[in-house]
Amino acid sequence: MRQVSRRDFLRAGLVFGAGAAGLAAGYAAVPDVLAKAVYAGKKDGVQNDRVLVLVQLAGGNDGLQTVIPLQDARYRDLRPQLGAAAKDALPLTKDVGFNKAMPGLKALWDRGKVAVVQNVGYPNPSFSHFEAIRVWETGDPTRRAEDGWLGKTIEKNYDSAGHPLVGCACGATGLPGTLRDLRTTLTVVNSRQSFKFQGGDEMEKALGALYTSTPGMYGALFDSAVATARDTVAQLRSAAAKYQAKASYSDRRVPLVYSTRNQLAGALQLAAELVVAGTGAKIIHVTLGGFDTHFVEAPRHADLMAYVDDAIATFHADITANGMADRVLVATWSEFGRRPKENASAGTDHGTAAPVILVGDTVQGGLYGDLPDLGDLDAQGHLRHSVDFRAVYQEILESHLGVDAREVLDQRFERLAFVSDPALAGSRSSNRP
Amino acid sequence: MSRRTVLAAAAAGGSGVAAARLLGLHRAVPGEPERSPAAPVMSRSGLDWVSPLGAKGETARAEEARIAHLLRRTTFGASAAELDRAIADGFERTVERQIDTPAAPPPPLPGAETATNSSGLPIDRLQIWWLDHMLASPTPFAEKMTLFWHGHFTSEYRKVGLESPFMYWQNLTWRTMAQGDLRSMLTQVTTDPAMLRYLDLSQSTGRAPNENYARELMELFTMGPEAYGEDDVRAAAKALAGWREPRTPEMIDDQIERQIKSTGKAPAPRPQPDPVKTGIFEKSRAFTGGGTLFLGAVKAWDTGSVIDRILEKDETAPFLARKALSAFVSPAPADATVRRLADGFRKTGYDVRELMRSVLLAPEFSAPQAYRALVKSPTEFMLHALKALQAPSLTRLVQQSGFGMGQSLFDPPSVGGWGDHEFWVTSNDLLARANFVTAALGQVRKLPPSDDAHRLFLDAVLSPRTLDALNAARDEKARWALVLVSPEFQLK
Repeated sequence: MRQVSRRDFLRAGLVFGAGAAGLAAGYAAVPDVLAKAVYAGKKDGVQNDRVLVLVQLAGGNDGLQTVIPLQDARYRDLRPQLGAAAKDALPLTKDVGFNKAMPGLKALWDRGKVAVVQNVGYPNPSFSHFEAIRVWETGDPTRRAEDGWLGKTIEKNYDSAGHPLVGCACGATGLPGTLRDLRTTLTVVNSRQSFKFQGGDEMEKALGALYTSTPGMYGALFDSAVATARDTVAQLRSAAAKYQAKASYSDRRVPLVYSTRNQLAGALQLAAELVVAGTGAKIIHVTLGGFDTHFVEAPRHADLMAYVDDAIATFHADITANGMADRVLVATWSEFGRRPKENASAGTDHGTAAPVILVGDTVQGGLYGDLPDLGDLDAQGHLRHSVDFRAVYQEILESHLGVDAREVLDQRFERLAFVSDPALAGSRSSNRP
Repeated sequence: MSRRTVLAAAAAGGSGVAAARLLGLHRAVPGEPERSPAAPVMSRSGLDWVSPLGAKGETARAEEARIAHLLRRTTFGASAAELDRAIADGFERTVERQIDTPAAPPPPLPGAETATNSSGLPIDRLQIWWLDHMLASPTPFAEKMTLFWHGHFTSEYRKVGLESPFMYWQNLTWRTMAQGDLRSMLTQVTTDPAMLRYLDLSQSTGRAPNENYARELMELFTMGPEAYGEDDVRAAAKALAGWREPRTPEMIDDQIERQIKSTGKAPAPRPQPDPVKTGIFEKSRAFTGGGTLFLGAVKAWDTGSVIDRILEKDETAPFLARKALSAFVSPAPADATVRRLADGFRKTGYDVRELMRSVLLAPEFSAPQAYRALVKSPTEFMLHALKALQAPSLTRLVQQSGFGMGQSLFDPPSVGGWGDHEFWVTSNDLLARANFVTAALGQVRKLPPSDDAHRLFLDAVLSPRTLDALNAARDEKARWALVLVSPEFQLK
């Protein structure tokens, strides 16, 4: 399998669109003044001030333990052990309920701020974590595309050069594939506290001097990473004064599960800071791992969902208190759901369709798409998806971000109207689409 | 001639060019007159490093550069003395020595063998123990390979836990198994206690097979995602079912003690410890349903025959050859190179040492295009820095810093292990590397002289920026900081 790589782009000599002359002149860095001018120009074209926060539940989140069927006897038949979750579930409708570990999202649901798109998937699903992640990251079920759907969105609509926080991965050390695009500058901030130059100005300046017109195949990548680090440090320095958390972020309500990298609450607090402080953040990506629950799933999955629930609900409370809730949409995704039939280890194996959860004041709360049909599994016992994940992307792009989805997705889908029309924001009514 | 004049002369000669090569390694031709830096080379990617590898008419120098290049990739850094020894041996003999010397075992880690629920092993001790051995081992290539296999056949302490010796054992097993053939490796990997737990194979039974290990064995460990179908995953899961984890005497004692504490009496019959450090196959838990179709053949499969079948498939040798090539030679190895090495690998009966020998001796390894074509991983970068600073005692700082750079040992981000090369070039990572250098320089008691650092650690192939900065550095500490944070030092 061919690896996607920024390197290929560098080889093609298209860094920042510079031609041969640009390359010879020192292709790696766009002079800052120029970048800012370009940004200002493009900024006029940005339709709104909305922000997307994408939460990746890595490992394959079990949709049937997240949004639980309440009436379907087949659910308990397929899941003799896990099926017990139905009796403690928090009902959303008579048919489905959230996992009991999700009281925060349930409360937001009751206030019409949560949309659940059910049974989301794509044709010919992959059961490989890595292939399925790539499909969701690129928005291409044929597995040919290389750039991430949000990387492409940034490239088409926003100017990232010199403004790395347009696309930011919070609480990560690497760039998520969703944001990957070779023409955009993106930043990655693992820890708010340690994102500064310990060596002070001297080290920062030295790095800036060293990483200019760096030769070699990684040269442009190095230079832009250092420039981005410096920009981000500067942004975070000024953001600190403009933001105060107005909700309590607790990493400790739920014991850390599986990985202390899963500090979703910390990552979302950084996201809130970037949004509230007006750093120009448009698209923020955070990840929680550990969802590959092949073995004794129930306690671990409940811990993970409690972690998700706590972090998102707190984030929402924070941005609400900071007066930004009408701008921010939170959307979850996972590479696949899990097989309806539980395995002998009281866990579940890789599956297909699963729900996507959307949270925010711009959300038209309610259920979208059909309930997963446990009576019509495919030959291998998997759910047949009923909503294409790209229809979810399309709605996020067009109704929330106000950009043209056709530039990112190569197909049109019927509208899933879970985002209230930006023009009508404030006049949301029923819980049902 | 002083280092300063060398730098100054070259800076003048190289002013205005994007890539300046100062000199070859100084040992090449002692007292050699200064020469102008080579002209910058325009490659398809723009300005490239001037490779000192295989430069025509500079045989001795090219050979030394080639050896420095080899040691950057096959060790965690070389001292001047180690470089001298390798130069005296020559490239081929150095490769032979690296490949053929059995791995020096690390010293036993106190408390690891006896870890139990009541007495877990702290992760930092396990990590520092390995980091120390990476630096101290007389066979650093074996440590490089152990790290390579740790990223390939990966397991994660967060799932496996440290209340058993399993993660520790896995590290010991990975170190020794790399001397053998792939069949024996795959057998050891499949029945490794930490792996049994990490990918749930010890939970899998014939009546209710767990597919986790079966899938990753094919997708990530041997063949890639195109080589099998979902039915093959199911068939392999059945065939591989029946393994359980072993129990040490300490684990048994601890279990009994706990049971007495909670119930007041000892379990009867008393459970017995297992004499082996591998999984134990229990026929009663295995699949007994007879013949199934797996990778195109029908029979009653078991662990051994599943592995044999995978080794018969055409995808396996190229998959592993490509992985080795992209870790040691080039981030995107040519298909023809992959095929050539894969053919050789298969012909030697999947001898892993022969594969690595062919990787290191491949002309592509020493080709000019291979120069600085790879990015050091965080662990490599930090250990190379400690080696350069002659500060092997700072492994705790390495252990503390790895996580923020995205590489913490025994703790990969996913079952796919770590990314490589451009994966490490992010705003977060470069900032974290600079912060590591600041911290390390703050902790080193006595800095070694930096006069030769640009030659020893950067081949004296510097960008004009690095050159200027080194010339302007006000003291030893500042010069070391520049050497270690330079783009040149991040590459290998």
